[in-house]
Amino acid sequence: MERNGRPAAGFWGELGQLTRAVGRAMGVTFRNLFRKPVTVMYPDTPRVYPDRFRGVLALTYDRETGEENCIGCRLCEYICPPQVIKVEMLKGEKRNYAKSFSLELYACEFCELCVQVCPTDAIVMLKTFELATTDRRELLLDKDRLHALGVQHEPSWATGNRLRDMQAPPKAARAEAKDARGDGKE
Amino acid sequence: MTDREQRAAVLPGGVAAGAPARDGVPATRDGVAAAPRTIEIGYGGNERLMMNMGPQHPSAHGVFRAILTLEGETVVAVDAVIGYLHRCHEKLGETLTYVQYPTIASKTDYVAAMTAELAYVAAVEKVGKVEVPKRAQYLRVLVAELQRIASHCLWLGTWCMDMGGALGGGATIFLYCMREREAILDLFEALTGARLLYGFHQVGGTRYDLPAGWTEKCRATIDVVERRIDEYEAMLEDNAFFLVRTRGVGVISRELAQEVGVSGPLIRGSGVAYDIRRHEPYSSYEDFQFTVPVETAGDCHARYRVRMQEFRQSIRIVRQVLDGLPEGPISSRPGVKSVGQVRIPKGEGYARVEGARGEVGCYIVADGGPKPYRMKWRGASFSNLAVLPHIIPGHKVADVVAIMGSVDPVFGEVDR
Amino acid sequence: MTGHLVAAFVLLNAIILVVTYITLLERKFAARMQSRVGPYYVGWPHGWLQPIADALKLMLKEDVVPAPSDRWVYNLAPVVFLVPCLLIFATIPFAPDLGLADLNIGVLFFLAVSALEIVGLFMGGWGSNNKYALLSAMRAVNQIISYDLPFIFAALVPVVLTGSMQMSAIVAAQEGLGGWFVLYPVIGQLAFVAFVIATLAAENRVPFDILEAESELVAGFRVEYSGMKFALIQLGEYAHMLGTSFLGALLFLGGWLGPGPAWLGPVWFLLKAVVVFLLVTWVRWSFVRIRVDQILAISWKLLLPATVVLLMATALVVALGGGRGA
Repeated sequence: MERNGRPAAGFWGELGQLTRAVGRAMGVTFRNLFRKPVTVMYPDTPRVYPDRFRGVLALTYDRETGEENCIGCRLCEYICPPQVIKVEMLKGEKRNYAKSFSLELYACEFCELCVQVCPTDAIVMLKTFELATTDRRELLLDKDRLHALGVQHEPSWATGNRLRDMQAPPKAARAEAKDARGDGKE
Repeated sequence: MTDREQRAAVLPGGVAAGAPARDGVPATRDGVAAAPRTIEIGYGGNERLMMNMGPQHPSAHGVFRAILTLEGETVVAVDAVIGYLHRCHEKLGETLTYVQYPTIASKTDYVAAMTAELAYVAAVEKVGKVEVPKRAQYLRVLVAELQRIASHCLWLGTWCMDMGGALGGGATIFLYCMREREAILDLFEALTGARLLYGFHQVGGTRYDLPAGWTEKCRATIDVVERRIDEYEAMLEDNAFFLVRTRGVGVISRELAQEVGVSGPLIRGSGVAYDIRRHEPYSSYEDFQFTVPVETAGDCHARYRVRMQEFRQSIRIVRQVLDGLPEGPISSRPGVKSVGQVRIPKGEGYARVEGARGEVGCYIVADGGPKPYRMKWRGASFSNLAVLPHIIPGHKVADVVAIMGSVDPVFGEVDR
Repeated sequence: MTGHLVAAFVLLNAIILVVTYITLLERKFAARMQSRVGPYYVGWPHGWLQPIADALKLMLKEDVVPAPSDRWVYNLAPVVFLVPCLLIFATIPFAPDLGLADLNIGVLFFLAVSALEIVGLFMGGWGSNNKYALLSAMRAVNQIISYDLPFIFAALVPVVLTGSMQMSAIVAAQEGLGGWFVLYPVIGQLAFVAFVIATLAAENRVPFDILEAESELVAGFRVEYSGMKFALIQLGEYAHMLGTSFLGALLFLGGWLGPGPAWLGPVWFLLKAVVVFLLVTWVRWSFVRIRVDQILAISWKLLLPATVVLLMATALVVALGGGRGA
């Protein structure tokens, strides 16, 4: 057999090489025949989600008081890159609420930035992605749907405050950095 | 091809002189032999067939249209048509702020998203002179190298599948490589929560820190991957079928590589030892020991050897990072709390990183606000694809697939 | 006469059933080699009804005929392809007296008829009026014609050793312990290896499947066929595959010979054919394909001279009295 750009190793040498290579390749596949398949038989076997899984979004209630966490501040709406969140604020006496909160899940890119900025840990991502449907309108989540999802499924580890705590440089380093930069905005 | 072109291709006389050849694009192109748009069925038997390896094709690696001019089975000219995946990244870079864009940046090179985000964030940090803490730099190196391993797994799998058929030995290697890639993607999922498009980087550091138990899992996965790479090499290394498909095919000479501007494994396979991690170290790469694999042959086999060695070097770097990871903050800026949080003073700059496919670069012109005035993205695959019209002519149709696979384009980078 | 018709009918149905389930076997075998499970849910738990589901799907699919195609050629091609592939089973004896037509030129008939599929193949490629199909049909003609010669010479080695072309005689010559022709020192093994390689090429199996080359020519000459016509082509391909496996088992692995009572013979035969089939499948799922000029180079420069020399050596051995002549 010709080998482009290289002198042939001699007919018998090449033949021997070929036989050895063939044997090696077929040996690898043969060995794999007896390995356990790596297929996970989903959905018969439930999927194990890691702690930080970025799944479907939901709104949460306060643990102690049972009140809605969302104060309608619209920070998530402003930061969302594909602009899928729309919030209207309802002013209350002690605190504000969200009059309406809609999230277009079919366009969401699951980047977790809304979770990152939420000051009250209201919006979280859940440990599930199983929301497949035949009607796209079902993926336009309104406030009730978001709250319902939050109650049905387990939320991931990440909430706004936790993420910001993880990312925040310790106070000393921050002060130093601010001094070094001078007037840079934080 | 339009109907007009198809008729012109079979009738003698061809397209009227001066008329655009296709879709308004002129018929000649400097430097590359323009394929005659006619079939001259003459005495010399100069019979040419124009075949479309269209945007929908199992081995186009994405959406890529190559109009091949064939003489029998030999390709005489290649006209590449790109732009099917254009999503206006550079305009998005102007409308989205510095905190929003990193999640979008990963969608350029969606196969190696970590290095794509790193290019953007590094450019912003360069222009804004933002410090990145040591731990964040090490984490960035860690994920970049893991991403390189995952990306090369995908490359090897899809390349062998292109060469070996979706119902054949190629699919076997593809599934083995996917098995390994899934293990690494599980690592990324435990780290960030997402498998493919991470949003891991932010201006000033990273968004996520390592969860408990991740280091042990990472070490175990790396050990498994290293053993499996031995298996792939056993299947392919001396395999005569593989060697005849890749030796001497698609040779990029050293001069051509430097002239056209390819980067990454393509240029290292042609004898130029240029690796950005070595020549312009970023993100603490100078702290790590690794060799830069270089081969001189310039053919598909050389590029294959370079990437296989890169596998091992990446594993080496990952182990060094895990051993030497310093404690400390993962970001020099507080976590993102509002969309206009990061403001970069006026300036411009370009940062380059060594992605899995070559030099990924981002040029930022900042004007003091929360968004860049202009963002230009240098995709590695865009420049790498430019070499195709030079190296494909002369090969057979089957080699086109092998060459494209060894160039390893990702069209998110090409079309942005 | 009616007896023959009934026998032919039974045989045809049996082949189609076996061919259908051998696709399932191949898929499960390939899946296990690739660390995955293969068909599972249809006919839970191991995909037993998957082939039936596939057949039903193909039958119910819309038959799309491309407008500029050459009507007669296009429509006839699957039939012309299928008929030789099914005809070869007529000559295979499944037990000492259980064969539809145990001709005394059985091997010759088999080899000649099985080569006729190339006509149907080329008709399919031409009639489709599709550049890809035409390209693949041209490659196929090249390849199959090139590899038919080593195929024939490799298959002739047991014939020479036996001294007869009658298939039952060839099996009878392999009686006795260690009598299988694959165990015949040197010549048997080399001939078997050459036979397997030539089978791979004649069947368009990777590494010689440049004909279809899914990633380049997307199904090759079959690309414009859908529905029942596609099913006929698939049936023909796998029937031919099975037929050559049967031939290989018969020529080299002793046919129906095996321990146990005589009625167990056909079972052994089927098992041996499946072994040959799995061997070919194993090779198929382990290698990448090679280019058409390299395929032709292997055939003309390597395999053909080798099999010719092998045949001459066999003739020499027989002349010196080593044959198992009947």
